[in-house]
Amino acid sequence: MPKHVAALQLPINPASPQVMHIDLNSCFAMVEQQARPSLRGRPVGVTNRKTKNACVVAASYEAKRAGVKVGMGFSEARLHAPDLILVETDPPKYHYVYQKLVNIMKSYSPDVHMKSIDEGIINFAGTGKLNTRSLQAIGYEIKARLKDDIGKYMTCNVGIAPNRFLAKTAAGLNKPDGLDTIDAGNLRSTLSGLQLTDLTGIARANEARLNAAGIYTCLQFLDAPSDLLARRVFKSVCGEDWYQRLRGWEVDDYESTVKTVGRQYVMDEWQPSEEVLRARLSYLCETTAMKLRYKNMAARGVIVYLMYANGDHWYERRVFNQPFFSNSDVLTRASLLFNRRPRDDWVRMMSVSCYNLVPSNMGQISLLEEVNREVWLTEAVDQINKQFGEFTITFATSLPAKGLVKQKIPFGSTRYFELLCNSS
Amino acid sequence: MENVTKINKDVSVVAYYFRNSGERLRCFPKRIEWAGKRVDFTEAGLRHPTKKGQRMVHVFDMSDGQADYRLEFDAERLTWTLVSIADISYAETRSSLAAAH
Repeated sequence: MPKHVAALQLPINPASPQVMHIDLNSCFAMVEQQARPSLRGRPVGVTNRKTKNACVVAASYEAKRAGVKVGMGFSEARLHAPDLILVETDPPKYHYVYQKLVNIMKSYSPDVHMKSIDEGIINFAGTGKLNTRSLQAIGYEIKARLKDDIGKYMTCNVGIAPNRFLAKTAAGLNKPDGLDTIDAGNLRSTLSGLQLTDLTGIARANEARLNAAGIYTCLQFLDAPSDLLARRVFKSVCGEDWYQRLRGWEVDDYESTVKTVGRQYVMDEWQPSEEVLRARLSYLCETTAMKLRYKNMAARGVIVYLMYANGDHWYERRVFNQPFFSNSDVLTRASLLFNRRPRDDWVRMMSVSCYNLVPSNMGQISLLEEVNREVWLTEAVDQINKQFGEFTITFATSLPAKGLVKQKIPFGSTRYFELLCNSS
Repeated sequence: MENVTKINKDVSVVAYYFRNSGERLRCFPKRIEWAGKRVDFTEAGLRHPTKKGQRMVHVFDMSDGQADYRLEFDAERLTWTLVSIADISYAETRSSLAAAH
């Protein structure tokens, strides 16, 4: 249905629910508790670095009950849960669970989309002849298979609805280990029990926008006309999307494209010297270039971003004529920008990103001999690193940072998961 | 903070057990011996494959009821390595001492 027609006046989608959202409960913490029986039933926090200033990237339900929240610093988390056990992330473990989850999901429908490491969507539309059972029965079977294939401590939330948004909302209704369905029959009663900020995508800023238009509850949000949402609340097409989304019509089934590739790092020293900064920069450039090549892309632009101890930040970007992809190319270009930074305060965080991405032309033999030599050298180094482990051949300047700058767990997407597991 | 001791020593797995997991029969270490010590495992936590370069390594997280053991089986060299032992009781002792003070 064309969007400009659909946005005017739509009923609640009367179709039977065909979308299933599966969300692993406190994924990393639960996987650690599955792997190590002595952690079960205890407050566990998972962190990328086991230091005093580390932050909790995942907390077990026991820790969450004690008040520990994701993103909380370790010191603060220990105030809430004095017996909190902190464990470091172990990407291969999560990758294994991710693969198992994907295999289970793909055995029901070819239309599977992983939203992140710990959640995914199965679209059952068109699989009626293969799946004759109810989606609820399939949901319970998936829960059982997760326990059989991975371990008995594994649990997941299952949400079933006519579109992705309502399926995710349903999956969050009864945590942990819930299974809920939202359809045209119970949509109003379900939304009446939720607050605006319980909806995915509505945080404080959007809540304030809705409040300003006199919308304070989910039911008022549901009943709001599309014109009001588009023109007064969101002041964009997002308003019409919300109008359809809340009524169970699908607006979120689009594929996003990669626009930037980069790495960032919070400094491990309070007063980093020039050599320390150069070592971290070199390492970040190397891993950014690896990500570029992993996606078969080259870049034309580089951004270097720094945050200082006093809270100030500085960035500089530049677009170059020729696309680049090798480690040394990224480092040379980033160093050009990095050299122009203000030196008034200590650097706390640095980030290197590449943008203006184009498909890589590494496979194309160039007329210029020096270009070919660079491609062959890069391919040879990549091959050796693949054979003997990442960073077997690396910049000498990166060596001091090699053991310190660790690959973090990607929350938003699973684009670089294979690369992350190889280098961990 | 728990007490994790890195070992990284080759060990002998002297007994195995098998478990029907999903569609496959899976093999797990039951008893290991190293440096004159013997450990009998009572529970398997997670077994997952990973790569070291091109070599396939199977990681076993096992428990003897007291501590958690991380073992690695190198599928190319056919060797078992005890990577680390994590002892939760250390954390409990520390937190109870802190509470007493």
